[in-house]
Amino acid sequence: MSIVKKPSKTSNWYLPGILSGMGFTFKTMIKNIFNRDKMPTLNYPEQKYNYSSRFKGNHVLTVKKDGSLRCTACMLCATACPADCIKITASEHEDPTVEKYPINYEIDILRCVFCGYCEEACPVDAVRMGPEWQTPGLCGSDFNYDIQHLAYRPSLKGGALSRVDEEERHKSGI
Amino acid sequence: MEAKVLTEHYDKDEYRFLDGYKKHGGYQMLEQAFKMQPKDIVEQVKSAGLRGRGGAGFPTGVKWGFLPDNGEPRYLVCNADEGEPGTFKDRLMMERAPHQLIEGMIISAFATGSHKSYIYIRGEYNYPAEVVKQAIDEAYKAGLLGKNILGSGFDHDMDIYLGAGAYICGEETGLLSSLEGKKGQPKLKPPFPAIKGYLGKPTIVNNVETLAAVIYILRDGVEGYRKFGTEKSAGTKLFSVSGNVVKPGNYEVPLGYPLMDLINNECGGLKPGRKLKAVIPGGSSAPVLTAQECLDATMDYECLAQKGSMLGSGAVIVMDDSNCMVDSLSVLMHFYHHESCGQCTPCREGTGWLNKIVHSIAKGEGRLQDIDLILKVAENMKGRTICALSDAAALPAISFVSKFRDEFEFYVREGRSKVKGVSYAEM
Amino acid sequence: MPKCNINGKEIEVKEGTRLIDAFKEAGEDIAHYCYHPGLSVAGCCRLCMVEIEGNPRLQIACNTTVQDGMSVSNESPAVKDAVKWGLDFHLINHPLDCPICDQAGECELQIQYMKFGKYDSEMAEPKVKKHKVVDLGPKIVLDTERCILCSRCVRFTDEVSKTHELGIFNRGDRSEIGTHENKPLDNNYAINTVDICPVGALTSKDFRFRQRVWYLKNSETICNGCSTGCSVKTYYNEEGLFRVKPVHNEDVNGYWMCDFGRDIYKYANKEVRIQNPELNSEDITIDQAITEFESRLKSIDKSKTAVVVTGQQTVEEYESFLGYLKENSINQVYHWINNPDSFEDFDGLLIRGDKNPNTKGLLEVMDKNGFNKPWSELTSKLESNEIEHIIVVAPENVEMYPDMDEKVQMFSKAKQLTWLGTVKNDNINDLKIPMKSFVEKSGTFVNYEGRRQNFKKVTVIVKNAICLTDMVSYLKNKTLEIDNSPEHYKRKMNYFTQVRGGL
Repeated sequence: MSIVKKPSKTSNWYLPGILSGMGFTFKTMIKNIFNRDKMPTLNYPEQKYNYSSRFKGNHVLTVKKDGSLRCTACMLCATACPADCIKITASEHEDPTVEKYPINYEIDILRCVFCGYCEEACPVDAVRMGPEWQTPGLCGSDFNYDIQHLAYRPSLKGGALSRVDEEERHKSGI
Repeated sequence: MEAKVLTEHYDKDEYRFLDGYKKHGGYQMLEQAFKMQPKDIVEQVKSAGLRGRGGAGFPTGVKWGFLPDNGEPRYLVCNADEGEPGTFKDRLMMERAPHQLIEGMIISAFATGSHKSYIYIRGEYNYPAEVVKQAIDEAYKAGLLGKNILGSGFDHDMDIYLGAGAYICGEETGLLSSLEGKKGQPKLKPPFPAIKGYLGKPTIVNNVETLAAVIYILRDGVEGYRKFGTEKSAGTKLFSVSGNVVKPGNYEVPLGYPLMDLINNECGGLKPGRKLKAVIPGGSSAPVLTAQECLDATMDYECLAQKGSMLGSGAVIVMDDSNCMVDSLSVLMHFYHHESCGQCTPCREGTGWLNKIVHSIAKGEGRLQDIDLILKVAENMKGRTICALSDAAALPAISFVSKFRDEFEFYVREGRSKVKGVSYAEM
Repeated sequence: MPKCNINGKEIEVKEGTRLIDAFKEAGEDIAHYCYHPGLSVAGCCRLCMVEIEGNPRLQIACNTTVQDGMSVSNESPAVKDAVKWGLDFHLINHPLDCPICDQAGECELQIQYMKFGKYDSEMAEPKVKKHKVVDLGPKIVLDTERCILCSRCVRFTDEVSKTHELGIFNRGDRSEIGTHENKPLDNNYAINTVDICPVGALTSKDFRFRQRVWYLKNSETICNGCSTGCSVKTYYNEEGLFRVKPVHNEDVNGYWMCDFGRDIYKYANKEVRIQNPELNSEDITIDQAITEFESRLKSIDKSKTAVVVTGQQTVEEYESFLGYLKENSINQVYHWINNPDSFEDFDGLLIRGDKNPNTKGLLEVMDKNGFNKPWSELTSKLESNEIEHIIVVAPENVEMYPDMDEKVQMFSKAKQLTWLGTVKNDNINDLKIPMKSFVEKSGTFVNYEGRRQNFKKVTVIVKNAICLTDMVSYLKNKTLEIDNSPEHYKRKMNYFTQVRGGL
């Protein structure tokens, strides 16, 4: 059994509805023309929206006070990554207190699903997801972010400082 | 009442030398011993109820009886590594009567059938070692050591070995490791030293006082020896009394002697105006007794064991009311942390942990839960290791904290000592 | 045969069995660090606590021998508490290094904490600081902070390698493992100490930081480093092999293997391997290569064809290949012995002078086919240009063939050289066919005492490689069935950095 709904009489009066809708649009247009500051949308790309620092956008590798990478190459981020987009090559550091560090850290941003597991897995606050969200590029290799891009890209202004400090940890006896 | 058996002639200077020693009846028992059967001597020591004077109180005759009859060479080792804080009786014995020790050792060696013995002397005891060395030289010259001693056909050689100053080498297997030239670490038991000891051969390790006492068991006979002491703790014993008494020193009293009599009569009591607070009756590793517990304590193995402490090496440390128990425990814990050999994990890590907790309390940085933590840690160090050092650190910690908990709580809350008014760090 | 009751299970064990082994036999879990069945008992970790009926004190299972009628349990609350505290004592001064510790993932502390611990530590005091990254020698790095002083490594150098390099210095919680000045830990069995180290204190420089262990798969095979034929486990992933560890085999190697054997994986990895068949330095397909080989066999006179074999291939390969040669009446088969002077050497533990895993097997098959020509005959024939075509079944483990260059020069005197090898060799400029290495094939090795040991294929490293059996079957049936399907893993196709390229 099927029910067929026949259009009622009132639905034939569509014109007032259209006109009131057009009226609202026109009113908003006038308001926006004369009052551009209060406009809720942005004129992208001339204008850009700044997300909060908690936004899970592009990755940032943090640095220590001396500017070197905080990352210890423990590969927990790579292990936790569900998209398998992090590739790390570890090596022995000259300084015995550092011991292990990454000579290569790559994130394939096109594979990344921005889940934030890497950030959570990191024991030393070395990888964070920042408010940047644009990932433009002209060729495939542009989407493989290397250490230079992840830690020292111009927008980071010399690198983001890690909250975990080895010296303080040593002093407190951990 | 002092009962001078071993120390009868200790006040005479000549007793240190062979002639003087012989003048007072020395080496007569040796000649008599050679006329006996070795197993009769062992039997006599067994029935005299002589117990090890070094700390554990194991019956000496029984220990000798453990030697296997397999024809392997046997060794006798005298444990003169007197490391227990508070103990200084062996030093007196070696300084005053080295020949007494040598005679006792030759008799014991004859009884146990060993032809080589070592006196393992504590590294810090340079002077006693010198005295004993001279005495051994004298004995060799007089034909009391070496081949065919006194025409008996029994050969025996004796050597001195100086330790390097580790407390753990007072433990018999640790001592044997050190004697073998290895790091002084206790060995796993079983096998016990009587089966596999020095260089893997059957070895008897006895304290200085134990070996010397053998002479007097032969001299006085079982009955004569048992005249002193109680049924289970026979004979006399040297007690090294130290701490807040008027006359600290070594006193030889029969076992079973009341502790308060020892403090009040022999040692002249506490300093005027002071009240007794606590006594450690058997060296620093024995649990502490409160003044109340001391009142009816007698100095024998059973009574002290019943009170939850032990006779140990007989080092009585008397503490009056000017002592802060937190500070005392932090000194003790530092000692055990420093002396743990580091072999077994509970002791290696536990002594360090206890030391850190007690010191943080003594620095005024303790937390209330630390007091219970001390008990928990100590409880789990007890009886979990190869040797008894872990117990030796845990038992005083448990007894100090449980018996003087108010002082620890005061220290944690106020950050200063209840007795002294300042913290350990400020002193 | 004493019977005992372990956690309610009745089992019968051999006379003199240690309680801890009886627990393992009964399939019961028991915590322990210092006990190792191949070493003496130290009894210092105090974790294998058990309750023996009739004994008021807890006893350690490693130093107790099973007696008839014994009833033992490690399930009582007292034992569990003792083990928990034992673990806590081990861990209070252990640094939180797991992220940079190579042992993480196969660390006994982690495993046993999850099994027997799972408590919150009450340790609030600062940890003891010790030396980190101590260089013990050319092969091993020590981290004294991570060390739990189980003394396994010390006992190993004292009892097994008998080189006495290691010792425990200082005492109490300041104790550290160490070597004496100018006496580095550098014996032929040194890396075994890394294997037996239950924590990450001893790490092998060769493997250090190269992979996290949870990225590696493992599979058992036979070491092809010498004629002892130790049972080993290879650790690998899609990038290749990373390390080799010994597997307990009472009849051959016990619990150990030598350090030379640990390098065998290096000759199986991609970087050193011949990737494609080559003819005069140009890549060809495998079909072309075998066709070329066949035409050489056919066109050149049998008496002017010589074959050189080494004891590095499997018995199965020898049987098919040498059998094929015999069928085609090629009789000049020569056995290449790399080190005739030290061939019979033996160091008393595992290392043998014969650096081929299957010399016995080769000789058996050669005997069966009646090949017994002396090496000198080949040398003189090459000198007098009597050989036109020489086929060399080259060794895999080239490190053990120091005379390689010299011999290649000698073989090059023949007009045509067919090189059936695994490892690249730039001096050869003729027909090269990539062979499978020992991890890529299944087969049998016969060791020095005639023990036949089967092993299975581990992984695939070079796709185009074939083995002698494959080749013979192609020559006979004209069909090539190379079994190149990876057995243990599917190659991941998201290897992004290499494969993406332009959009």
